[in-house]
Amino acid sequence: MTMTSHAAVRPARRPARALLVAAALAAALPLTAGSAAAQLGSFNPPPGPHGVYAIRGARIVTVSGPTIERGNVVMGADGRIQAVGADAAIPAGAQTIDGTGLTVYPGMLDAGTTMGLAEIPQGANATMDATEVGTFNPNAQAFYGINPHSAHIGVTRVVGITQVVSRPTGGILSGQAALIELAGDTPPQMALVPRVALAASLPRSGFAGRGFGRGRGGGGSTEDAERERTAQLDSLRAMLRDAAAYMKAQEAYAANTSLPRPAHDVVLASLGPVLRGEMPVLFSADQASDIRAAVNFAVENHLKAIILGGREAPEVAALLKQHDVPVIVTGVMALPSSEDDPYDVNFSLPARLAAAGVRYAIASGEDGAEARNLPYVAGMAAAFGLPKDEALKAVTLYPAQIFGVGDQLGSIEVGKRANLVVLDGDMLEARTNTKALFIDGRPVPLDTKHTYLYEMFKARP
Amino acid sequence: MKTTLVVAAALAALGAAPQAAAAQGRPADAAAPVTLIRNATVLTVTKGTLPNTDLLLRDGKIAQIGQNLSAPTGARVIDATGKYVMPGIVDPHSHTMADAINEGSLSVTSMVRIQDVLNPTDVSIYRQLAGGVTTINVLHGSANTIGGQNATVKLKYGRDVDEMLFPGAPPGIKFALGENVTRKSSQERSRVMGQPLRYPATRMGQEEILRDAFMRARDYKAAWDDYRARVAKGEKNLVAPRRDLELEPLVEVLEGKRLVHAHSYRADEMLMLLNLAKEFGFTVKTLQHGLEGYKIASEIAAAGTGLSTFADSWSYKIEAYDAIPYNVAILMRHGVVATINSDSDERARRLNIDAAKLMRYGGLTEDEALKTITYNGAIQLGVQDRVGSIEVGKDADLAIWNGHPLSVYSNVETTFIDGEIFFDKQRDLAMRAEQARERAELERADAAGSGRRAAIVP
Amino acid sequence: MQIRRSLTATTAMLLVGVAAPSMAAAQLGVQQERNAPSTYAITNARIVPGTGATIERGTVVIRDGVITAVGASAAVPSDARTVDGTGLTVYPGFIEAFGSLGMPSRSNGNGGRGGRPGGGPQAFFRGQQQEQPDGAPNSLHPPGQQPEILAVDLLDPADDAFTAAQAAGFTAALTAPASGIFVGQSAVISLRDGAVQELVLRSPVAMHIGFTTSRGFGGGFPNSLLGVFAALRQMLLDAQHYAAVQAAYTANPRGRARPELDPSLAALQPALARQMPVVMTANSEREIARALDLAKEFNLRAVIAGGQEAYKIADRLKAENVPVLLSMDFPERPARRGPDAEPEPLRVLRERVEAPRTPARLVDAGVQVALQSGGGYDDFLANLQRAVENGLSRQAALRALTVAPAELFGLGDRLGTVEAGKIANLTLVRGDVFEPGATVTQLFVDGRPVTVRAAAGRGEGTTATAAGTWTVTVTLEGSDHPVTLGLQQSGETLRGTLQGTLGTAQISNGSLTPEGELRFTSTVTLPAGSEEATFVGTLTGNTIRGTVTIVGHDPGTFVGTRPEARGPGGARGQGRGAGRPPQR
Repeated sequence: MTMTSHAAVRPARRPARALLVAAALAAALPLTAGSAAAQLGSFNPPPGPHGVYAIRGARIVTVSGPTIERGNVVMGADGRIQAVGADAAIPAGAQTIDGTGLTVYPGMLDAGTTMGLAEIPQGANATMDATEVGTFNPNAQAFYGINPHSAHIGVTRVVGITQVVSRPTGGILSGQAALIELAGDTPPQMALVPRVALAASLPRSGFAGRGFGRGRGGGGSTEDAERERTAQLDSLRAMLRDAAAYMKAQEAYAANTSLPRPAHDVVLASLGPVLRGEMPVLFSADQASDIRAAVNFAVENHLKAIILGGREAPEVAALLKQHDVPVIVTGVMALPSSEDDPYDVNFSLPARLAAAGVRYAIASGEDGAEARNLPYVAGMAAAFGLPKDEALKAVTLYPAQIFGVGDQLGSIEVGKRANLVVLDGDMLEARTNTKALFIDGRPVPLDTKHTYLYEMFKARP
Repeated sequence: MKTTLVVAAALAALGAAPQAAAAQGRPADAAAPVTLIRNATVLTVTKGTLPNTDLLLRDGKIAQIGQNLSAPTGARVIDATGKYVMPGIVDPHSHTMADAINEGSLSVTSMVRIQDVLNPTDVSIYRQLAGGVTTINVLHGSANTIGGQNATVKLKYGRDVDEMLFPGAPPGIKFALGENVTRKSSQERSRVMGQPLRYPATRMGQEEILRDAFMRARDYKAAWDDYRARVAKGEKNLVAPRRDLELEPLVEVLEGKRLVHAHSYRADEMLMLLNLAKEFGFTVKTLQHGLEGYKIASEIAAAGTGLSTFADSWSYKIEAYDAIPYNVAILMRHGVVATINSDSDERARRLNIDAAKLMRYGGLTEDEALKTITYNGAIQLGVQDRVGSIEVGKDADLAIWNGHPLSVYSNVETTFIDGEIFFDKQRDLAMRAEQARERAELERADAAGSGRRAAIVP
Repeated sequence: MQIRRSLTATTAMLLVGVAAPSMAAAQLGVQQERNAPSTYAITNARIVPGTGATIERGTVVIRDGVITAVGASAAVPSDARTVDGTGLTVYPGFIEAFGSLGMPSRSNGNGGRGGRPGGGPQAFFRGQQQEQPDGAPNSLHPPGQQPEILAVDLLDPADDAFTAAQAAGFTAALTAPASGIFVGQSAVISLRDGAVQELVLRSPVAMHIGFTTSRGFGGGFPNSLLGVFAALRQMLLDAQHYAAVQAAYTANPRGRARPELDPSLAALQPALARQMPVVMTANSEREIARALDLAKEFNLRAVIAGGQEAYKIADRLKAENVPVLLSMDFPERPARRGPDAEPEPLRVLRERVEAPRTPARLVDAGVQVALQSGGGYDDFLANLQRAVENGLSRQAALRALTVAPAELFGLGDRLGTVEAGKIANLTLVRGDVFEPGATVTQLFVDGRPVTVRAAAGRGEGTTATAAGTWTVTVTLEGSDHPVTLGLQQSGETLRGTLQGTLGTAQISNGSLTPEGELRFTSTVTLPAGSEEATFVGTLTGNTIRGTVTIVGHDPGTFVGTRPEARGPGGARGQGRGAGRPPQR
């Protein structure tokens, strides 16, 4: 790979045996000096500046349209794709990558992570920030908990995952997920949609699930469990009704300040976008009964639903289609849940959903550290019945559309954000190498915590 | 006779004898007829890639490799045009089939044997066959410094345990170092709750446990050596020393007859073990996990020790935070026999993808990547003369893939062990229909049985 | 059981000094019963003697506990108390071939119940310092590994200990402590009221191995199936070594250090010498195979107790001449399943359909079979009838209930048939015991009439039951994992499967105490790999909850409910049975 402006696109490698990565970073990249002392160190070099960049003579997999066997992509200083095509003109002065023999893809989106909220699950509780205390936390925002210096971010983006949905977990209303780009030193820099969806897990059917028996000593029966579940759902309905009333009162007061001023409530206020249908609710549900319950609850309360998980979604396909509820599949690599299930029951889940006509996307099903397996998860779905181009869409355009950013992400089209990956082969193949990466039209160095350690030790005698 | 009648019928329909049916109604091969696999791309792993090549499997072995081989009469002929054949995958770290994994009561449990608790009906065996795996190393868990004895197993699903144990595989034993043994988070809770703590709670204590165990093993060996010498001299009326099942395997370790597979994460703890082994005169066969192995690659190489790790798992605990996916590449370049393992019923089904990742992370060649899940694993289990590559005379343990096995888009069509088919995609599809039929029949019989009984219960 | 109620027989003996037990009893005021005439004649009954042809209408005469005459024309002694047997069939008294009848529910003779700490994750940390229960006096080995324990020394039947067994037609039983590794040595006892000393027909009968350690993680060695086998093997080796050391010392004590006495190792000698059979509890095919392997390794005379999947390994049982004490506690069908319930695994369905076929299959394969209730007395006769419907001949069935266990337990000359000279143990049934509708109306045990009362649940022993399909949420490090737990229970032992997002695994080392303490281990597959998880919790009604311990992970929790009540058999000890008033 040759670059006309090498230094700008790919910062010079630091000495292989640098002793203090943080110190090296601070020296090489003064911009990050202030954040280098962040928790557990910072290993994600910042992107280069905006500018006019071009990739010339590459194979371009646009995803939305036909693949261009040999063409150019131009990124503008606004971070958008300015031109794409076999003969797209490269402006004078553009910093250009020779893409001969390489392929350009739109960056992938992993829609099911807790990236930046959770670092080391065992033995390092202080690095775990995804789960707030309590059952109803619609006001908890991932946006405020994401650590831009999580080492997970660097290793994830270099396989071509340029954005993720990071969501709170736990409780019934877990909090608000953020759709972040995997580049930037601060959450505001990273967040494309700071509040993209409300993450929720309804109590499970046939079992009260979370909160069941909480605060009670022993005892209980199936009937008690069912009662508990009903009670929790009723609390949730009541909260939504209160939020609607709150919204109405606030609007009324705004229009007529002679009315008594309604008191503020951070929890109820946070539900406004959900009730207005502006913010979807991301329901975690795998069993058919739970999916059905989530869809019915959403319909009943006029919520815009997305299912996260969806293991048995094909059994509920008609209902999902009827209400246009999309499914983000997280369990492609999960073990079959029953010993009698076909060995490939989850590998083939995306293919079965596609065949049933349900809108879907594929997520890695990983929290953060392993999210970089997303392309191979999609590849596995393709090995078991999903057409390859569908598998690619399932990790690019489809999740972008599900989260309402299909006009900005997920394909290589003029005007879309220039989140592009340049590789020496098929992006979903594990053996493919990434050669260059752009997020928001800015070149992103391919160094990660892992390459730093690699460089540090590979030549140790 | 271990089949149910309906399975027998199904297998008869498939041309397989009922007695070969697997435990859960999955198909196994009838016997091992001579098999000719025609016109495949053969990934020998040790001798390069052979295009348009035929393989003849006879008596459980790879009998011939070549072009235009002729099929003996009665042979099963499989046209593998456009397909790939690779050796059966060897997984050097598995807990599949184990009814119990940890005897966590003591710090030294060398007396326990995984072989005693194997479950040959574990459905995970079948799922792994569908991922091209044929040999696994079933290990004791990591609850204690010296764990139990391993079992090297061929995944002959549906057979008795005796038939699945890898014949002639050298015995091994699990050691464990680091966080799982010190149980830091648990120890902290104990401290708060005023409960006694388990020894060892530090890596220092782990060294002491090991040293103590091997010193005792030396004494034990000396006692037996002494006894045997006296018997040899013709002394009468001697009573043999007490046999000690804890120390016997450790004596075998000292004598180089039992392979040590040591769960370890941090470079310092690995180095401690390598040095201790050197002092006691044995070689650690493998460091298991060994996520920081790359930090001491030359020391590991010098010790003659192998390392078996994950392709890219990391950050799940403190001692895994410095793990890098380049680990294998650095180790291999230093001359360490390195492998990828699953340690997971889930990951074991897709070790081919994990191997492919090594081409991205550190630039392994195809053959090097394949070795990490085949031949190198065979070396680590001491069975490289039998499995791990496709060579004449080796066991016919291999899989036919519908594409290159290092591609995520490929999957397994047929898996052979000792020349017998233990997984076949087409048979699997046939069995699904059969399974549905069997379920209906069983439901009927079950309902009828209960109905009668309900009537007679007073 | 008047004696035991007022004072134990032992105490009674102390009170009267050196007096013989019978005298002691007499002085304690039970002589009315003792002196009641004990000659009986059962007349006009159909007699199935178990040897020779059925007598369609005949008489059985009993005097002083022994059968004195049997026949169509046997004379009724003039002093006899006559029982009109019209409409009844007289069978040889059924022998319960395995169980823990009369063992105290909190036996201190095994490592199981007594050794269990209060549950919860604390047990994990206690290591070796856990308080051990009392075991055999002066044993050098921990409870649960004390083969010198004799069932007769522990025998202490509660008032209603035998009620349920009697209602199912049992007149005698092999009994041994309920759990442990080396459980102890069994006895055959009569199932009637009376001083413990009177009840014993034979002791010791067999060495018992249970393969279970209920002490869980951290409860001392061994706490897993792995350790159980190592402990068994080491102890048998030690017993062999002990014999050699003792023999050498006895032959030439001068100048040698005296070896210490080890009652546990001494007790194993008859088993190692094949003088005493070794009864090993094993149900699945692989459990049976493991037991047979161990027996082969140490040249033991193996007997399998349980044997649910014995038909799969019948050829080997036959070839190695291993009898099976087969449980008739067939798995039950859940009553109703919710519309969203996961389908039952085929394996579970197969087990249920195969169970009633197993007795016939074993008999057909030439395996020696004796039947045990498995604790499911309520269903015993119904299951016996199902076995007959599924191909077991009536003759073979009767043999497996009478002659076969009598011979296996060395009592063939005394028990098992209705013959003059044998102990007068008889089971009287209205109707044919192998036909639906049959009911046991009366027993004779040691020549005494025993009135059959309605069973009170499962009798002594397990009251809590965990069998069924559970919907469980396992919470580990902040993540919830929905799983389905399918459990089967026999006695205090649990088997079953855990399925769901944590993978598919069969549980091991499962147990449930009568008090509802639940414990089992299972492989779970987490993102970091496959691990072994130890579940410890409590069962209350249709809820289970407790803690999950995994090496290298923070302790987690689980909570689950059982959406379906149990099947036609009902929730034993809770619904059917327990609430039913006695039909005296």
